[in-house]
Amino acid sequence: MKKLLALVLVVMLVFSMAACSKKTEEPATSESGASEQPAEKSGKITIWAWDPNFNIAIMNEAKARYQKDNPKVEIEIVDIAKGDLEQKLHTNLASGVTEGLPDIVLIEDYNAQKYLQSYPGSFADLTNKVKHSDFLNYKVGLMTVAGKVYGVPFDTGASGFYYRSDYLEQAGYKAEDLNNITWDKFIEIGKAVKEKTGKKMLGFGLDDGGLMRVMLQSTGKWYFDEQGNINLANNDALKAAVKAYKDIVDAGIIKPTSGWNEWVAAFNGGDTAAVVTGVWITGSIKAEASQSGLWKVAPTPRLDLAGAVNASNLGGSSWYVLEKSKNKEVAIDFLNKIYAGDNDFYQKILIDRGAVGSYIPAQNGASYSNEDTFFGGQKVYSDFSTWMKQIPSINYGLYTYEADTAIFSVMPDVYSGALTIDAAMKKAEEQLKNQIGQ
Amino acid sequence: MAGGTNKKSFINVQNRYGWFFVSIAIVLLGVFLLYPIFHSLYLSTTSSKGIVQKFVGITNYTRLFKDQMFLIALKNTFIFFIIQVPIMLLLGLVLASILNNKSVKFRGVFRTAIFLPAVTSLVAYTVLFKMMFGLDGFINTMLLNLHIIREPIPWLLDPFWAKVTVIIALTWRWTGYNMVFYLSGMQNIPDDLYEAAEIDGANKIQQFFYITIPMLKPIIVFTSIMSTIGTLQLFDEPMNLSQGGVTGSTTGPGNSLLTLSVYIYNLCFKFMPNFGYAATVSYVIVFIVAMLAIVQFKLAGDKK
Amino acid sequence: MKLKKLLVRTLLYGFLITAFIVSVFPFYWMLTGMTNSAVDVIKGKMTFGDQLFNNFKVLFTNHNLGRILMNSFKVSILTVLGALLVSSMAAYGFEMYSSKARDRAYNILLLSMMIPFAALMIPLFRMIVKLKLLDKHAGLILTSIASVFLIFFFRQSFKSFPKEIIQAARVDGASEIRIFLSIVIPSMKATYAAAAIYSFMISWNAYLWPLIVLQSEKQKTITLLISSLSSAYFPEYGVIMAAIVVATLPIILVFFTLQNYFVQGMTGSVKQ
Repeated sequence: MKKLLALVLVVMLVFSMAACSKKTEEPATSESGASEQPAEKSGKITIWAWDPNFNIAIMNEAKARYQKDNPKVEIEIVDIAKGDLEQKLHTNLASGVTEGLPDIVLIEDYNAQKYLQSYPGSFADLTNKVKHSDFLNYKVGLMTVAGKVYGVPFDTGASGFYYRSDYLEQAGYKAEDLNNITWDKFIEIGKAVKEKTGKKMLGFGLDDGGLMRVMLQSTGKWYFDEQGNINLANNDALKAAVKAYKDIVDAGIIKPTSGWNEWVAAFNGGDTAAVVTGVWITGSIKAEASQSGLWKVAPTPRLDLAGAVNASNLGGSSWYVLEKSKNKEVAIDFLNKIYAGDNDFYQKILIDRGAVGSYIPAQNGASYSNEDTFFGGQKVYSDFSTWMKQIPSINYGLYTYEADTAIFSVMPDVYSGALTIDAAMKKAEEQLKNQIGQ
Repeated sequence: MAGGTNKKSFINVQNRYGWFFVSIAIVLLGVFLLYPIFHSLYLSTTSSKGIVQKFVGITNYTRLFKDQMFLIALKNTFIFFIIQVPIMLLLGLVLASILNNKSVKFRGVFRTAIFLPAVTSLVAYTVLFKMMFGLDGFINTMLLNLHIIREPIPWLLDPFWAKVTVIIALTWRWTGYNMVFYLSGMQNIPDDLYEAAEIDGANKIQQFFYITIPMLKPIIVFTSIMSTIGTLQLFDEPMNLSQGGVTGSTTGPGNSLLTLSVYIYNLCFKFMPNFGYAATVSYVIVFIVAMLAIVQFKLAGDKK
Repeated sequence: MKLKKLLVRTLLYGFLITAFIVSVFPFYWMLTGMTNSAVDVIKGKMTFGDQLFNNFKVLFTNHNLGRILMNSFKVSILTVLGALLVSSMAAYGFEMYSSKARDRAYNILLLSMMIPFAALMIPLFRMIVKLKLLDKHAGLILTSIASVFLIFFFRQSFKSFPKEIIQAARVDGASEIRIFLSIVIPSMKATYAAAAIYSFMISWNAYLWPLIVLQSEKQKTITLLISSLSSAYFPEYGVIMAAIVVATLPIILVFFTLQNYFVQGMTGSVKQ
């Protein structure tokens, strides 16, 4: 056994030396790799994105439009699952090789800062190359590092309070009663719905932090302060959100669900009366055609705090160009022409895919004022574009998911009452500090 | 063997053939396995935010002991290992010996059916399990109708039951897989051993304990080590049964399904990528599995 | 006595039939799923619907299923052939010609199997790039034909192979390679069949590594397609189920063909 250990150590030493010496050689190899490519523009760009029915389909539309004017540009759109895409991107960026990377990549907003700051120099600076003032302010803020803007904003996760008008009417509430309400009011409505119809108000994942992020962003606060320092234990907005979570659970107005499918099934199956989430859920709600005409959308409830608004956001993503892209100029031109310039494109993707872009000029387009019969003739998208302009701009920072995990690790104790909210947030803060080494 | 020199040259030739047979595998594994291993061992002494990397020595290893998440993951992984592996292997062994019995009818059909879970796509089976184990899912409905339970069981909503669900899922998926190894091993047991035992008056159960198990020992060692590795690297089921869709902040209610591999994944791809620390957690797994493997070899009296 | 036997039989078949139903049920659900719409699948409909044609139409028009399946077959078949040969040879070398040096090498290999793949991915990825195997199927095949898992399995099986037969063949003047190819391989059919099934299954279902190595749409394998289908905001479960059924059939077929070897036992020539 001793000999074996010695052998392992020797081999280890040899390999780690080899690994070190390899590192110094690396620039040479990547250079020779680059020189294989001809100097003139080949005109091919590769794009990574997820969701065949949404991002990919939309990108295909963009491709067709761009190629009409630029027939020589070849565009390859690679469809990769979201988690997979992140894995691939991390592996490629972390290993420092550029051969495998695409020219344009889709990144979820919560993760944008993480990529931009973990892999400095990997993404192209698009300041002054794209007219960012045409996009919603909060989206642009997410892709800015030290005054430089790195991406082209795409879809918004502007949130809304989707509800079954038939159930709520039975409980005695009309559309105008639901405008700009607080979460306390929401719970009150939920109780009435439960009493009158026997239905639960929400499908609710007890370990799902999505709704908490909706609540928080509506206050303009986050898990971190402006400087990026952890802010859990003394964060009033967060404590209010945690309290709202507990109140919702305690009120007995939820149907507990685990994971996406059960959650979708809860409203598709007519078991629940409301959904509070990002606009991208519209497709899933409309998928149950038999419920046409029964749904409506109201503004997102807010926390009862000064400065909180009835508008928020959940999810959404944006396009980024890789700095080492062989056809960087073509890639930027493509995004500029379509995503930052083609109003008609945004009308088409709204109608075809229910995609709500963050490109402001498009929101005056005809499609946005369409009356949707599924939503009882409500001009849903026009409403969303009003709300999305009110979404507070915040810096998600680098550690949103770490904070999320830390908080939801203590939530079972909050639900059960084993920990007070103050104590729980203190514990979560400790854990988070440990996790990210602050 | 004749003379000493002759014997020596025979051993030499034998040795050369030994190297010849293993050479291709050794070269390939050296390049594609050992090199990455040593590189990641080097990584485990660094801390990184993506490519912003710095040398930290053994700090990563000392950090482990203060890391709540890591300790939870370690505990969960062990619970899965201790409970699930024995159940599955025993069940696989029993099924294999039943289906190896030539008097059982439709053996081919049963074999294929029981193997089927191992080939069913992960996506399909996790989606289905989540539905079946939902609060008003198939399992609860059935148990309620049979009056076995009064209240629906919160399968995936409660820390304890979430673990139970994962153990059921794992057993469902991998029992047939292990059964096939046992079946193939049983073909290497000469029939006359059973015939002789039959003549001596041994019944089926005695035959199982006194012939099948000892003769299958190498394969049992193999499956138990593979299952140990598989369980300690458990990833798919906790990951897919707990979250899914856009959100899911902890892995299972109150992190009850957080395993070491899921934690490694989170450190690399969900959180701020810290590949150095992730590599450190991996080496903890290696250490534990290696210890367990040595114990299993020793218990089985397998020659080293 | 007869009654007892009947009771045992009943219990035995009861047990087998329960195992059968439990095992097959999800597969049945997959089959019904591919005939239903996404909404029906989510709501838990368990009977056959009328969307079969539609789901397949979507699958075939939106994705180049033919090419994707060809890619999967190419990679899997080449991997299985390579893996059976290379890994069983190595196991044979380790088991039958024991030497201290090789035993040590073997122990290191066993140890290496215990490292989670995620930890190795980045160095391995660099290696693949250096060897110009990025986006090539060879990058998948070469990295998996020498499998520690299979070497371990083969070696454990070779342990019960009667050594006298090899000695006898040596006395008869057969060369070492010949002994391996024409005596050992043919008499270990069940082992090879099991190894082939596993190798095929692992390669066919491989997901993480192909995801990292393959870059372009035209190299894509079936698992990558299923994964991307299921990550949508609104997953088309009917279509996903259709894809899964298509992806599962080849493995079932391979298993069905090879499982015959499990019933044959040691062939006459080897029996002592």
